[in-house]
Amino acid sequence: MEFAKKIVETTEEIFNTMIFLDVSANTPLEQGKQDLGCHVSAMIGLTGGFSAMLGIHCPEAVGLAISGAMLGIEIEEIDADVKDALGEIANMLAGGLKERFSTEDIGLELAIPTAVSGKSYTIASSAKSNRVIIPFNIEQGQFFIEMKYNLN
Amino acid sequence: MKYAQDIADATQEIFSSMVMLEVTPGEPFKRADSKLSSSISGIIGLAGTIKGILAIHLPNAAALAITTAFLGMDVEEIDEDVCDAVGELANMLGGSIKAILDPSGSEIQISMPSAVHGEEYAVDCLADAEAVAIPFTFNGQTFIVELQISEGS
Repeated sequence: MEFAKKIVETTEEIFNTMIFLDVSANTPLEQGKQDLGCHVSAMIGLTGGFSAMLGIHCPEAVGLAISGAMLGIEIEEIDADVKDALGEIANMLAGGLKERFSTEDIGLELAIPTAVSGKSYTIASSAKSNRVIIPFNIEQGQFFIEMKYNLN
Repeated sequence: MKYAQDIADATQEIFSSMVMLEVTPGEPFKRADSKLSSSISGIIGLAGTIKGILAIHLPNAAALAITTAFLGMDVEEIDEDVCDAVGELANMLGGSIKAILDPSGSEIQISMPSAVHGEEYAVDCLADAEAVAIPFTFNGQTFIVELQISEGS
């Protein structure tokens, strides 16, 4: 099903066409516990052909840069605009993945996005699920796109 | 929100039948942008004709007590077992709410649960959704179950 490949393609497409930021994908991280050192995340559930949770996780500077570029304004702290922008990106990523999977006759439905923010938090993944985490670079640093999934 | 009573009933039922704990619901409220301290949240998405998020927010002490009761083993810190148990609670609550929102069983599906924990964090709904939070108490502990849904489209 090539989750990693689809995530990279979708992320690059959205950043190029909607946010106008150049991103480069790095090697997917190993499974297991990861301390990503992130301060703002947006997550969205996907259901249908498989069950999943897609997330974008950003350190503060990267979250500000991405949402600033998307909204065309300068942002100085993690506020409602940043959470909304990342939620919208999670939504677009999930939409892009839905489209890509639909070409393989795998139907998906999206839930609504939710934001997690704070100085220190960990997003755990269930031992029973599969997980792909792909780091992407922009000038200001690294962010992570994560997909946890269970094939039905 | 019209589902407040349903959430209260579903939560009580799951806790009494699966966790073997009697929990008491309080007055529904709106959880407006409040930060969570030393807590763990289980979050699951609902997708289909009704889209939404169901979350359970537990202070660490409540999460440990619930996991201990749920798994029948002592847990002393927020570890993988606690995260799995809280994710599983979100999953069971999501399943019950799905059955209430979608009695035919064909129009809504639940996604995979996720657990978030930390010293200080916020969980915000981003879509234009109707939200309700219900507090529960048991043995001097408290936790919150929250549903956010957006009907149509």
